Amino acid sequence: MSASPGTRPAHGTPHGAEARPGGPAAAPPARAFLARTNPAAKVLAAVITTIALLPVLDPVGSAVVLAAGLALLPFSGVRARVLLLVGGPFLLMGASIGVVNWLFGDGGPLLAVGAAVRLMAIALPGVLVAMTSDPTDLADALVQRLRLPERPAMGVLAALRLIPLLAAQWRMLTLARRARGMEAGRNPAAAVAIFAGKAFALLVRSIRTGTMLAMAMDARGFGTGERSHARVSAWRAADTWFLVGTAVLLCAAHALGIAAGTWQMLFS
Amino acid sequence: MATHDRPPSRLRWRTVDIVVLATVGAVFGLVFWIWNLTFAAVSGVFAVFPPSQAVMTGVWLLPAVLGGLIARRPGAALFCEVAAAVVSVLLGSVGGMAIILLGFAQGAGAEAVFAATGYRRWGTGAAMAAGVCAGATTTLYTLVTAYPTWPLSFMLAFGALTAVSGAVLAGGGSVLLHKALTRTGALASFRTAPGGAR
Repeated sequence: MSASPGTRPAHGTPHGAEARPGGPAAAPPARAFLARTNPAAKVLAAVITTIALLPVLDPVGSAVVLAAGLALLPFSGVRARVLLLVGGPFLLMGASIGVVNWLFGDGGPLLAVGAAVRLMAIALPGVLVAMTSDPTDLADALVQRLRLPERPAMGVLAALRLIPLLAAQWRMLTLARRARGMEAGRNPAAAVAIFAGKAFALLVRSIRTGTMLAMAMDARGFGTGERSHARVSAWRAADTWFLVGTAVLLCAAHALGIAAGTWQMLFS
Repeated sequence: MATHDRPPSRLRWRTVDIVVLATVGAVFGLVFWIWNLTFAAVSGVFAVFPPSQAVMTGVWLLPAVLGGLIARRPGAALFCEVAAAVVSVLLGSVGGMAIILLGFAQGAGAEAVFAATGYRRWGTGAAMAAGVCAGATTTLYTLVTAYPTWPLSFMLAFGALTAVSGAVLAGGGSVLLHKALTRTGALASFRTAPGGAR
């Protein structure tokens, strides 16, 4: 977990992004509006976008939402290298959905493009949430603002903290197998067998680690009663306005789709 | 905790249930991430008849069935699958929120079967039925989000193959995995361990 906010003296820095309690070590730049938005607001915005776009097949409205999501990228505080890394698979997903719906669907090219753009418009907000939110902040916001059950949320957060450990164990398993002379060489069947063995060993390792972690959490009184919060997830006016803006955008997107005559309910 | 005056409930969640299921979910989040790449890489092989790629779906349903088998508690299947979905999104799966909703749908499908048995049957039959049911919710969700323009015959083929994949890979696979995990002793703090009775 990150350092408690009270222990960090403010050396005369103005209260801005860097004074944010419980945040990631590197403060987001002032332009990173999306990184400073409460994760609960971002999750809610992504959820209402999904609900609003799911029942309708509309290339125009979906394109409006997708464009708005892309317009937020410069304000996400995500580095260009990361954007390129995620952008490739993202575009590939959209393209493959479009091609499959076009070649094998009943709706013709326009609806195929609509299906691809719609799926990307649904996916992008969630990707933005994941890229711009610190996992600890996200868990705090979900528990304190959206009243998600605390024990499961903290459990997932704890498991997330184990992932770097699992990566290290994966490397160790690889080295151990190499030391024992188990190498696949050019044999793909042997490669699959070694991979499956390593994956199973990792699963065993992770269950043992999780069991010990649970014991340690029990010893510290986890889940025995009401918890207080070291980090407060603050909701600002900007977060409310962010949600209002999302709702307005979704209404406008549907209105534009209806006006353009491309709006139709799914499977109708 | 008031565990002294009454025996621990068969249905109440302990910390170890939550953390181990979340950890198993996290490992499968990694697996999903690799499987997503594999799925995209081999999709050309299935291009002749795209619904046939549904045979690969079962791997995404594994944590739901396996989570149920490990903890044997209400909500275990749902929780493990959602945890896997959340972790795979935080690791950078490009489906975003759609993946988490899909995780909910898949977990709920498996959960429904375990609930229907009153959380009392955990054999191969129940596991395969849970895989089939998780496959059914997956089919519904995938057709609505990804392939809404497909003709009905494609949709039916997709549904049937997903069900088979769910039964074999997720149902059968979970039973084998659970047996193997029990043999290693890693599940010692769970009811299914030899001599364990919680």
